[in-house]
Amino acid sequence: MPDNWGFVIAAYGLAAIVLIAYWRFLFRREKELDDARDVRQQLSHTREPNPARRGPLS
Amino acid sequence: MRRLLGGVTLLGLAAGLVMAFVVAPREVTQGSVQKIMYLHVPSVWVAYLAFGVVLVASIVYLIRRAEAADQLAHASAEVGVLFTGLTIATGSIWGKPTWGTWWTWDARLTSVSILFVMYLGYLLLRGMIDDRERGARFAAVLGIVAAFNIPLVHFSVYWWRTLHQPPSLMKPGPGTMPGIIVAALLVNFAAFTLLYVYFVAKRARLLRLEAEAEA
Repeated sequence: MPDNWGFVIAAYGLAAIVLIAYWRFLFRREKELDDARDVRQQLSHTREPNPARRGPLS
Repeated sequence: MRRLLGGVTLLGLAAGLVMAFVVAPREVTQGSVQKIMYLHVPSVWVAYLAFGVVLVASIVYLIRRAEAADQLAHASAEVGVLFTGLTIATGSIWGKPTWGTWWTWDARLTSVSILFVMYLGYLLLRGMIDDRERGARFAAVLGIVAAFNIPLVHFSVYWWRTLHQPPSLMKPGPGTMPGIIVAALLVNFAAFTLLYVYFVAKRARLLRLEAEAEA
């Protein structure tokens, strides 16, 4: 059988594209969700009442 | 920890490529196109592993209603679909020069296509149901039912007359492949298994973060 390097390159190239694309999707989505969680945490910290600012009657 | 796993996976994949293209000899009958085996066979192994994990995690979810088990099943199914798609695509590319056709409706190819469509349906089902708990329950049932197709795929080459060759490695009895080809294949099996663990760990974490964001 003649060497069919074109088919080998096609198979490995396709696999590389698919796997890298999936990894990029996971990486970007993780960054989005981590950023969103940081914002949520910051907001919840700013909303918490600060005991040092309470007056004597509060 | 995940970074370390990612680094080890990358090294494993590089070692797999070296084993496939440098160390393993050129196969006499098929020539260079046989190199696709080092991609195609580990891909289907990961698909079997992924759907096996879906089966176990789905059973655990139905018994204990643990959200982590549902997230593991979801992540594993997604990665399994990815690798089943890769198996079908690389098999088709391998089939053209060796069989003379991109596709034929033989038992192995048909059963693996059914497996792919069933788990694609599993992912679609999860996306269609708004109630998270209900969707997880339905998906768990489908995840268990669809797993019965895995032995059908694997043994289809024995049960029916097919164009696809019988397994060379995952079979009972002594092997027929030279040791160096088996070694190259095993390195790729290990690398792809690491890639599966890395992808599933990352995807399961995303599902956890998404659930936190929705809560």
